Amino acid sequence: MASLWLKVRAIPGWVWPLLFAVILIVIPFVGAPYPIVRQIELTIMLALIVSGVNLSFGYAGELALGQVAMYAAGAYTAGLVSKAGQTDLLIQLGAGALAALAVGFISGVPGLRLGGWSLAMSSFFLILLVPDVLSLFKEQTGGRNGMSGIQQATLFGNPIDSETYYVVILVVALLWFAVMRNLIVSRYGTALKVMKRSPVLASSIGISVYQTKLSAYAIGAIPAGLAGVLFANLDRFLSPEAFAFSFAMTVLASSILGGPASIYGAIVGAFILQFGMNQSTTFQEWGLVFTGLFLLVGGVAFGGGLSGFARSLVRRADKAARAQLGHEPPVVEAGAIEKRDGSVLEAKNVSKAFGGNQALSDVSVVAKPGQVTAIIGPNGSGKTTLLNVVSGFYRTDSGTIAIDGEEVQGLAADKVARAGVSRTFQTPYVPAKLTVHEAVEAGRYGRDRSTLLSAILRLPSYWRISKADRVEADRSLALVGLNDARDEMADSLPLGNRRLLEVARSLVGSPKVLLLDEVASGLDEDEIEILADLILKLRDAGLTVVLVEHNFRLVLRLADVIYVLAEGKVMAHGNPDEIENNPRVMEEYLGVTPEDDSQKKGR
Amino acid sequence: MTIVLTGLASGAVYALVAIGYNIVFLSQKTFNFAQASLMMLGTFVAYVGVAVYGLPWWLVTIIAGILIGAVAALQEFVGIRFVSEHFNLLVTTLGASIIMEGVAQLIWGGEPRPVPFVLGNDVLDFLGGRVYPVEIVLVIVAVLLVVALTQYAKRSMTGIALLGMSEDSEAAQLRGVNVKRFAFAAFVFTGVLAGLMGTLIGPKTYAVATLGVALAIKGFVVLAIGGFGSMWGILVGGAVVGLTESLSARWIGGDFANLSVFFILIIILMVKPTGLFARVRERTV
Repeated sequence: MASLWLKVRAIPGWVWPLLFAVILIVIPFVGAPYPIVRQIELTIMLALIVSGVNLSFGYAGELALGQVAMYAAGAYTAGLVSKAGQTDLLIQLGAGALAALAVGFISGVPGLRLGGWSLAMSSFFLILLVPDVLSLFKEQTGGRNGMSGIQQATLFGNPIDSETYYVVILVVALLWFAVMRNLIVSRYGTALKVMKRSPVLASSIGISVYQTKLSAYAIGAIPAGLAGVLFANLDRFLSPEAFAFSFAMTVLASSILGGPASIYGAIVGAFILQFGMNQSTTFQEWGLVFTGLFLLVGGVAFGGGLSGFARSLVRRADKAARAQLGHEPPVVEAGAIEKRDGSVLEAKNVSKAFGGNQALSDVSVVAKPGQVTAIIGPNGSGKTTLLNVVSGFYRTDSGTIAIDGEEVQGLAADKVARAGVSRTFQTPYVPAKLTVHEAVEAGRYGRDRSTLLSAILRLPSYWRISKADRVEADRSLALVGLNDARDEMADSLPLGNRRLLEVARSLVGSPKVLLLDEVASGLDEDEIEILADLILKLRDAGLTVVLVEHNFRLVLRLADVIYVLAEGKVMAHGNPDEIENNPRVMEEYLGVTPEDDSQKKGR
Repeated sequence: MTIVLTGLASGAVYALVAIGYNIVFLSQKTFNFAQASLMMLGTFVAYVGVAVYGLPWWLVTIIAGILIGAVAALQEFVGIRFVSEHFNLLVTTLGASIIMEGVAQLIWGGEPRPVPFVLGNDVLDFLGGRVYPVEIVLVIVAVLLVVALTQYAKRSMTGIALLGMSEDSEAAQLRGVNVKRFAFAAFVFTGVLAGLMGTLIGPKTYAVATLGVALAIKGFVVLAIGGFGSMWGILVGGAVVGLTESLSARWIGGDFANLSVFFILIIILMVKPTGLFARVRERTV
């Protein structure tokens, strides 16, 4: 039983949806009545729109229902093109997708800058505008009365009959879902998952949050536009009512029900809503109430939808089967750390104030390759602020920050990351829904550019980069001693391992400067040993390491240069010996002075 | 002048929605998309009470306040309280609003139902324009409500606690503010308010199931213009949206009413995303 299950699981995942598509395609040819066939056609169109919504809502994490307006744009574009005498379906599909893409960009650029409710509301508004815009161009679109006179579509010069049209619809959908699948199962998909959970983490590994969201929203316009073209040629009549707000709610409910963060969930959700809504008249009357209930219950109870539920079942079965058969995770040797090219990080006269609170004043710090530069100081002395300024999360009020002489102050965090600065966080950011291996792999995003096109078409460059990503992630995990946890879910790790995961992630992209923010706190002694050993090895390999740390003993042991911050200023700096014997440091940082000893004992 | 007055009156309706948004926003940092749908239910209660049963308007107002307050309490309990991820509130409040619309559709159908106004429906000459009495009352009530709520927020313990919560809910909790209960009370209060307004809004908009979505979005535009969290901003935003709508409908064409408002929303979001009257805070990691 268990071995049979594992054999089934060894079949590549894309075989199942392909099989499903083939079954769907033959349905009308085995005698299914036309009403059913038509329902399937409408379902597929709905699924295409839902798939676009999933990309921006489920994966990029922004609720925008502009896809309904894009659907309308695709449909009316096809109608206009057809009335102008161009009946070739392929040309119409191209034009419809472009029109939808244009609507996506125009509405996405302002809305995505803000995200959240502003984006949601402006996209809802966009849907309300559809009838107004159509009515403005009454001559061409027929306004509120609807558009008629669309010609029968042709393909390569031959008119398409209704059976062929069914096949055409399914082929278009099949191609889109292949594109969607290739996008999601690639770095781009991982980047989206990371960004949804933590925009901060995303920008720290070189992902531009705004651009990535915009791309997801815009790409999501394409299936909506395609669905519009297919819809226009199905009935050859268009009415503004087909693009109403309630339809947008049907789309959203399908997305929630099928699972917003899934590729094929769109099809499942669309089937349930499309067939459900049209089966009985009672359901039609109650349609809005049910749609609302799906949204309400879906939002409260299951984030993952039906596909999320199915996925967790599969994962549990996998685990049980492996446990039964005794599955061994692959052993990876960490190997020696190859030579690393560190960069000189130089912060000069950096000041930063939050309101009246001067968090950093006139701080100058130099970190050199092949050295561990430690920054210590009491809570609130500005250590983490300094790291945040360096990695581009805060803008400096004055002063410069340079990497190998190249000034980076004022650059966005993702640009700084691409310049070779990688970091860990005081509270580890561990994205949910990713395995440990995937979470580490994400750290390579900023490294070499791989285009979306190469992912969609699975070009050789895609395979090369994805292989390098996988190998490097395994090595990185081995370095921190986490390779046993490779396939576990990242967010199930305990705190100590989360920190090690962050270290692995910050190493995987071969950074030039590594910023470690209180990376040893919460680790047990063995883990600290692994970490200390690793830091020294990295230093010896030539990397620039900046260590913000509370553990004074550890700092003395690891650091080559120590900077002591107090109240936003550099109070002292020097090698560990100098710092350990600096009386002011003893007083400020450790809270002991030679004269103070008696009092301290008394307390 | 007639156009200006009509515009201000619609602006007042949108402002009333925005007031509800703001109270919930201050207490929970989220929007209740269903706010306008609660108002829509309020207009139906007004319709049933005044037009069908012929009850006195003050009694209907009180009943509506209680009923819609109860609906809001139910919504909070089912669709807000147990939502762990902030992000999902977008979906659940949307869902609640759609359910309300669906229920209204089931009971009363899609036809708009007129709601008679207590001071009659005779057109008055006022400041050189011609208006319905209800339109004047709407503007006055919106202004009075904003004044009353700002004063209340400044002077009463409840108000101060609410403002404290919106600044820093954790700190407020440490100071002994029961954040959960406050948020609930504020939510129910917006429901009561939506109900009380039913007898006022109904005569202007009619009771119709599809009222919710359009009002919800316009109310949001009002808030975006005025600034999220700003009470005074609502009056300005309401006036801007109402006037834009009526003036563009009159001078450019009926199809441009919504488009012009949308245009203003986009400009505001691009140029001053916090709105005209809200303070800005630096983003922190």
